[in-house]
Amino acid sequence: MRLHIRHETIYRYDRQVKHSVQCLRLTPRTEAGQKVLSWELQAPGRRIEQLDAHGNLVHLLTLDTPHEEIRISATGVVDTEVVEDSSPSARAGLSPLVYALETSLTSVDESLKDFAMGYAVPEMDEHQAMRLAGAIRDAMDYVPGATAVSDTAAHAFGLGRGVCQDHAHVMIACCRLQAVPARYVSGYLLSEHDDHIASHAWVDVWLANERRWLAIDVTNRVLGGAQHCRLAVGRDYLDACPIRGVRRGGGAESMQAQVRVSADALPRSPIGGRSRLLQQVQARQATSQQEQSQQ
Amino acid sequence: MALNEMFESDGTVRPHYRAYAEWLAAMPSQRLDEKRAEADSLFRRAGITFAVHGEATGTERLIPFDLVPRIIPTAEWDWLQRGLKQRVTALNAFLQDIYHEQEILRAGVIPAEQVFRNLQYRPEMQDINVPMDVYAHIAGVDLVRAGAGEYYVLEDNLRVPSGVSYMLENRQAMMRLFPELFANCSVAPVEHYPDLLLDCLRSVAPAGVRDPTIVLLTPGAYNSAYFEHAFLAQQMGVELVEGQDLFVDDEVVYMRTTQGPRRVDVIYRRIDDDFIDPLAFRPDSMLGVPGLLMAYRAGRVNIANAVGTGIADDKSTYPYVPEIIRFYLGEEPVLSNVPTYVLRRPDDLAYALAHLDELVVKEVHGAGGYGMLIGPRASKQEIEDFRLRITSDPSRYIAQPTLALSSCPTFVESGLAPRHLDLRPFVLSGSDITLVPGGLTRVALREGSLVVNSSQGGGTKDTWVLER
Amino acid sequence: MLSRTADHLYWMARYTERAENLARMLDVNCRMTLLRQDEDAVRRRWTAMLSTVGQLEPFLAAHGDVSEPAAIQWISFEGSNPGSIQQCFDSARENARAVRGSISTETWETLNTTWLEVRRFRNHPLAAEVSGEFFEWVKFRSHLARGVLGGTMLHDDALKFTQLGAYLERADNTARILDAHLEMLAHQTIKFDDVGDYYDWGALLRSVSAFAIYRKVYRDRITPRRVAELLILHEPMPRSLRHCMSAVQHTLEELANTRSVETQRRAGEVDAMLRYGRIEDVLAQGPRSYLHEFLARTADLGSRIANDFLVSEAT
Repeated sequence: MRLHIRHETIYRYDRQVKHSVQCLRLTPRTEAGQKVLSWELQAPGRRIEQLDAHGNLVHLLTLDTPHEEIRISATGVVDTEVVEDSSPSARAGLSPLVYALETSLTSVDESLKDFAMGYAVPEMDEHQAMRLAGAIRDAMDYVPGATAVSDTAAHAFGLGRGVCQDHAHVMIACCRLQAVPARYVSGYLLSEHDDHIASHAWVDVWLANERRWLAIDVTNRVLGGAQHCRLAVGRDYLDACPIRGVRRGGGAESMQAQVRVSADALPRSPIGGRSRLLQQVQARQATSQQEQSQQ
Repeated sequence: MALNEMFESDGTVRPHYRAYAEWLAAMPSQRLDEKRAEADSLFRRAGITFAVHGEATGTERLIPFDLVPRIIPTAEWDWLQRGLKQRVTALNAFLQDIYHEQEILRAGVIPAEQVFRNLQYRPEMQDINVPMDVYAHIAGVDLVRAGAGEYYVLEDNLRVPSGVSYMLENRQAMMRLFPELFANCSVAPVEHYPDLLLDCLRSVAPAGVRDPTIVLLTPGAYNSAYFEHAFLAQQMGVELVEGQDLFVDDEVVYMRTTQGPRRVDVIYRRIDDDFIDPLAFRPDSMLGVPGLLMAYRAGRVNIANAVGTGIADDKSTYPYVPEIIRFYLGEEPVLSNVPTYVLRRPDDLAYALAHLDELVVKEVHGAGGYGMLIGPRASKQEIEDFRLRITSDPSRYIAQPTLALSSCPTFVESGLAPRHLDLRPFVLSGSDITLVPGGLTRVALREGSLVVNSSQGGGTKDTWVLER
Repeated sequence: MLSRTADHLYWMARYTERAENLARMLDVNCRMTLLRQDEDAVRRRWTAMLSTVGQLEPFLAAHGDVSEPAAIQWISFEGSNPGSIQQCFDSARENARAVRGSISTETWETLNTTWLEVRRFRNHPLAAEVSGEFFEWVKFRSHLARGVLGGTMLHDDALKFTQLGAYLERADNTARILDAHLEMLAHQTIKFDDVGDYYDWGALLRSVSAFAIYRKVYRDRITPRRVAELLILHEPMPRSLRHCMSAVQHTLEELANTRSVETQRRAGEVDAMLRYGRIEDVLAQGPRSYLHEFLARTADLGSRIANDFLVSEAT
């Protein structure tokens, strides 16, 4: 599926910021299942780029002239497809076991532990993972604003409410309690109603038997698919979040973000459907080649 | 029965203490009292204090300094030195391997899970090359002597080991107070430690940097070891900086000076991994430098000690160190580990649960005395409480027998009395591996106490390695 | 040297100097009110003083009405007043503490002792009769700090940043003291060439340790014109604007870096304005307008120094 993405973030400050540094994870990952046709990152200041430990492309932005706002925009076109094996880091340097360790954002309490143990299985597979995701979603309503970015899995679970970040953290925590590696995925989602959602978070669960990551969108109770464009993965939100910054001065900050994801007129594949996968791949590759030759 | 460093069990003075004992016997006790008072004012004037947490700002205490030195004979030191170099060399090789090929895991020497499911393993370091392949540039290895005098390594401190300033100041105080002693006993010098440290840091500058700019990064004046940071920076003649003094631009680290930005090549940091870069680790850290990790990963700056050394000195790795030495060096370890029960192993767990009243149980991710059970000193209730904690997650704990630490005569209220000791030599690894003959000797001032930490009533002694 | 270290040293010196000048201002006010029992005049003086230090509104919010003991207490010790003498000493000590490794032990001990001892005075309300002792003590501690710095520190950039801070602060403070005095007399027409009110102008001179200096320089009775000349233009007078700005300009030249060209130019401009200025022209412009212009220039220099040397974000 061809996704057209436009993501704009504006930070505004009460007072002048003298110096700020932003860490951006705003470039789709290079991995099976998605191909970046074009991508442009617009941001003020000087920047450098580097691949981080999790294989995400990171831009470090340095602004040392006084400023009262920062505008960051990412625009581009990405072709996505459903693939059986979306396991880049099985090949890369990091062991999946790195994602089996509790972090502070994925920390648990007794109540979350009890819940997770109700879904403990000897061997994680797609069915079991979806069952767990469904149970988490049943236990946690999707309520924007119910939690803050720094809230832990245990806290959000206790509230019984949260956003995609919280669903992902709780799912990750439940997997890790059973020593199953799970990681946080940040990215974009093409929603049913074309013009909302967009910036999204879901999880990858490690299926040891099959030696692959399985992407699960807990919030939407679906497997990761062609509607999902992956920006970054990590142990939790902090590793993978699109923008992380520090600044000197500036007073209070307000943030406004707008994301728009839309699809080409290509036929939309039903969620989880893989029957027409090959055709799609071929079609996508054909169109992309055609486009490239036109350029 | 604990070994006394100065006396044989029949009360005769050990040969290496003979010269000192004769001098001490000839010393009027009143004169010693005067010297103690003098030592106190020496330390106070030099500002050798440590800040006490939880007390009003400005509260600073002296760490008690004891006048009786701990003396180590030449041959014993030679052997210790060999063991320390061997151990630190192997641990650096382990870190290099863990962050690259991970052969030791593939060989099944250490379970992979043990390494990767540990917060001290830093994914950020995977496949990153560091100058000279050295990770632990400064190691402060804690040693104790038990029973018949055999040495054991208690802990390998490879993150930000502290205390070296006391080693240096203690020697200086002893030489001022008792110059005649040093004329009679041939004590090996330690004063060149800052020079060796500076050489070490220079030798690990990023490739291509000829005359590296080195800085010491401190958490600031409120840190309990700030005195040491200021002292070492001054002794090495390098700038003492805080996180806010540094910034990263285009993968290069600069410090802000009144003459404009100046490039920094090597950072001797005295800040934990978690705090050195708010964009990479704890986002609430006010102590670090945003973007430092990216500059480091790009090889434009070196950090000593490297990020991620904690995986090698973690209590969960400790039991494997003898195997680590064999694996990388193909040698038998010179220095022994304290026998350790790894409670994730069912046999060890069963033994430990049956002998909790004899063992010291430590939490593997704990640091310095928290989450620790000292069996022989614990009440029945404390033991039972701890038993529950262990059984709920045995993999978090290790257990060790309680050692009868060696003791040394020490001045206390009632005069000279034996008190328990440990020893922390400092091993420097750069283009080569060096250490000054000596270290920091800590002494538990309370009778019978085995706790030498300064925060819990510990003191220090000068440590003499004899040259002949 | 590190910008942060320079920043701490600079502010350590500024706060110490500021404490001293606050004591001087309080002192002159107390002397005046000792002589005059007219309650309105007393209230007017203290109202003006509170306004000079920017504390009139918070003071009135706390006390409702201006009284001498409350005003002295407020300017000396009030915790919510960031510019009180005690707060200045606290700040000086905090700055010193942050760079303990860069200052002499004696300097640290001096500031630390001051910080400890200022509490001794806080607990009894300062009536004008007993406050003199406190003001003298504050001045003495500041003299001591200055002497200890010069006598125990290496005369390098570190010391120069303390001097830069101290002189800039002193120039600012002398200008404010003079301006406040003129404001007090604003309800009457000042005849600058006539012999001034001995007590008014004498107290002003004493507040800047210039009474004897005046006698020595002019060997004549006190006229407002000469007082203004002495405090603004007389180079050898250590608290005059001319003396201070000459030192600022000189020190800046020694500390110059690639960014500081414009700052040096502006400092030179101020220096020249004082060096070649004549009291006739100052009076013709109106002394208060002249002082306000001067204060704006020192404020500008202060923020430029901060940008060029102390917090160098720019690369």
